Amino acid sequence: MTVSPEFSAGAVAAIELALLTLLFVVALQMLKSRHLFAVVMLSGIYSLLSAAFFVSLDAVDVAFTEAAVGAGVSTMLMLSAMLLTARREKPVTPGRAPVALIAVLIVGAALVYASIDMPAFGDANSPANAYVGQAYVERTPNEIAVPNIVTAVLASYRGFDTLGETMVIFTAGLAVMLLLGAGAPRGGREVKDVDDADNGKGGNT
Amino acid sequence: MSLIEQLPVLPIIIPLVAAPFCLIIPNGRIAYFYAIAISALTFLSCIGLLHGVAAGGTISYYLGDWAPPLGIEYRIDLANALVLTLISGVAALVIPASYPSIAAEANPKQIPLFYGAMLICMLGLLGVTITGDAFNVFVFLEISSLATYALVALGGRADRRALTASFNYLVMGTLGATFFVIGLGLLYQATGTLNMADIRVQLLENGTNRMVEAGYAFIIIGMGLKAAMFPMHLWLPNAYTYAPSAVSAFIAAASTKVAVYVLIRFTFSVVGADFDFVSAMLSYVLMPLALAGMFFASLVAVFQTDVKRMLAYSSVGQIGYMLLGISLGTEAGLQASIIHIFNHGLMKAALFLSVACVMLRLGVHTVDGFNGLAKRMPFTAAAFIFAGLSLVGVPLTVGFVSKWYLLQAAFEADRAWIAFLIVASSLIAVVYVGRIIELILLREPPEDGPLFRDVDGNPVREAPMVMLVPMWILVLANVYFGLRTDVTADLAGRAAASLIGGQ
Amino acid sequence: MDILQFVIERFNYWIFTVLMMVGLYTVIARGNLVKKIIGLNIFQTSVFIYYISIGKVSGGTAPIFTTEHQKELKKHEHHGDAHHGDGHQVPTHQDGGHQDTAHQDGSHQGDAHDSADPMTMDLHAGDLHAGDANTSATLTRAGEHHGVSTPDLHDGDANALHAPANDALVSQGGDHGGDHGGEIATKATEFIEPLYSNPLPHVLILTAIVVGVATTAVGLALAVRIREAYGTIEEDELETADNVAEFGVADPRQQQDGGQGAGRLNPGGAQ
Repeated sequence: MTVSPEFSAGAVAAIELALLTLLFVVALQMLKSRHLFAVVMLSGIYSLLSAAFFVSLDAVDVAFTEAAVGAGVSTMLMLSAMLLTARREKPVTPGRAPVALIAVLIVGAALVYASIDMPAFGDANSPANAYVGQAYVERTPNEIAVPNIVTAVLASYRGFDTLGETMVIFTAGLAVMLLLGAGAPRGGREVKDVDDADNGKGGNT
Repeated sequence: MSLIEQLPVLPIIIPLVAAPFCLIIPNGRIAYFYAIAISALTFLSCIGLLHGVAAGGTISYYLGDWAPPLGIEYRIDLANALVLTLISGVAALVIPASYPSIAAEANPKQIPLFYGAMLICMLGLLGVTITGDAFNVFVFLEISSLATYALVALGGRADRRALTASFNYLVMGTLGATFFVIGLGLLYQATGTLNMADIRVQLLENGTNRMVEAGYAFIIIGMGLKAAMFPMHLWLPNAYTYAPSAVSAFIAAASTKVAVYVLIRFTFSVVGADFDFVSAMLSYVLMPLALAGMFFASLVAVFQTDVKRMLAYSSVGQIGYMLLGISLGTEAGLQASIIHIFNHGLMKAALFLSVACVMLRLGVHTVDGFNGLAKRMPFTAAAFIFAGLSLVGVPLTVGFVSKWYLLQAAFEADRAWIAFLIVASSLIAVVYVGRIIELILLREPPEDGPLFRDVDGNPVREAPMVMLVPMWILVLANVYFGLRTDVTADLAGRAAASLIGGQ
Repeated sequence: MDILQFVIERFNYWIFTVLMMVGLYTVIARGNLVKKIIGLNIFQTSVFIYYISIGKVSGGTAPIFTTEHQKELKKHEHHGDAHHGDGHQVPTHQDGGHQDTAHQDGSHQGDAHDSADPMTMDLHAGDLHAGDANTSATLTRAGEHHGVSTPDLHDGDANALHAPANDALVSQGGDHGGDHGGEIATKATEFIEPLYSNPLPHVLILTAIVVGVATTAVGLALAVRIREAYGTIEEDELETADNVAEFGVADPRQQQDGGQGAGRLNPGGAQ
């Protein structure tokens, strides 16, 4: 492998650019399409694309998790929810668009404003990369015998976040059980809704 | 490794370890006693912490012995010790009162899970309050939020609108949390650290820039969504109205307060009100919104025919008072705000519990249920009246203490017109609370019709003891802290001083 | 030229902004509940991209120690112990100001003593323990960073690292290309520590991904329940259904803002 650093840097930049453009196109298409199946599939693709992008940013652990969780688990969840609810999205009343647009533009403007003072992308000396982040790289080999720094930090320095994360999953499981499990209407209890006749079965569209 | 050394982590560890066991408890009643025990233990540990902090100053605890900023730190000063005590105290009172009410409103099979979710909700709120690490706030915020969504949706058995209310709450809450994460990212990018105290140190050392300004704005919006700050309150009325009564009592007293606390923490001790953009944000954004919320929400409350919804709008208005105290940017304002966080928790928990009693017996939470309540359920009625008067701000109650300190803060800041607006908006509270009190005292109970008998068709009785006792403890707390103003005011004053002064 | 540079340096952040706007727009403007959840997903994923972009270091590699680096670390292990006392890892507050460079030799090549200062980890208040082996390792490597990438800019300016973006930009310059090649080559007969990307954003986002999927699961479960209770997941239709149940009209908005009370244990007060 005798590739000049300039060339490989350029290639990486080109790949990043292509991925980001694709991400944008996919997101737009997800916004536009009313065909929920297509939207769910696109969201899987969106996750995979972002996973690829994470690899190009050296975040291999994140990429792996995003591919497994974002493209895998999320897509499965959405697919099953879609099958249990509706396949197509109906048009919305046009009144929503202006409000949404204003909110979105304000938020976008705030971020562009912030970006003026941001350190350059990839700057090793930016506060974020030089201070605590760098200290993790320094100290991990001496304090924790795990070559993967991300794993080391997850399990040790910020282990309590990881514990919280486990709790989040547990809570989500508990919430879903409360919503759909035993005791919830489909778990054997009748729904006392007014127009129950046509939707008591839930399920198919 | 004595227990006392580990005290700071106990309020989190106890429910964290205990909650999952609710899944394997087969019987609702056992789960009920289990949850009482856990919440009481948690409350005791919080009291211990408050005591420790009041006597010995700020406690810093390194989780897993990893020193900040690399590790996660619990940093407990008076401000969060007070909020911790409030949350766990309300939980320790609402959970014992919840059984009859939840047994009537949910499926028996769901009751163990319900208590699991209640404990987790409490755990999340405590975790947000206690931590000194900014990202840890997000994780625990989401724990409590997820549990809250499920708890609100549990009301879907009685009224399907609970489901849509919960969904809207989920969307708004997740947007809020994500805004918070964006703000955090900006602060991190500017300072390189996630430890709250350390962010402040870095900012003082290096000054601010546009990233910090935008980051702070994002945090305000995110927490504003979670706290139901005025124009972002749309999720709250339905969520409080259709959630099971016990759940309303707990989340109304605890969950928005925690978001307000986070706002305070980020405003005063993470970023710092001494920066120009923060004080500009306080005076030109937060203050108008707080005032608008006080009036708008109180006015809307006047026209509600559902008491829970009325109380919900009143909560939006009361959050306006808390934000107003913050937006003054002074120590006195902050003190008033902290006092009101604590006091409002006491009032709203008592009020929602009394509505829960009415709901239990009569199956409604509309104004109709309150006709002649004094004759049918005298203790419940009296509790509602006392807590309602406290909400209005009648002397000898905590509500008066809150208003008094807020007025003082307004005068001290040379803003007499704000004091005038506070009084004016309190008059609206007189109207909406007075309306219900009039029904309770002056109307005759229905002689016939759907509300003549209770839900089971028997003559209407007083609510059961397990509900009355916790409710009356809360009412008496309303009076006690109204008389012993020195207790809360002193603690809140010291908390405010340390938030503003403590570098 | 400067403007181009400015744009390239921020391109990732702007793309994140645009993606975030698309996601947020989907959440607010779309009425289908599943679509809203998907919008939330786009929104959150865009934030992940932002965080990961923060942590990227040009010319860096994934934050997993290379095998060479591990070998190198092993070589120096005994040094660490010697300084360390009982070998148990006690995290300490560090203060670069109390460091004397004597600690640094042995651990690494130690070619950048004076640039140790910028890495000053000046934590809050008094509780500072002077450096043990760990501390010195930290500082030494910080020094190397500077030594390698921008050798001439660091005369112990303690603020260089934490200074606002612009300063950092200056010190970054047009580095990481091949222009220090010569410099490195002269010293690099030994091992050169690789440059790693910042692991902290990765850690945070790993947590955030899990939180995101948990929220998605709960949101979708709610959507399913709503479908069962209402027969639809379109927000407009849900609103109409509630209004019909409550007021008997599809659009009572002109009447009043708040809702009428709920009835007994049945929905919408439909007595």
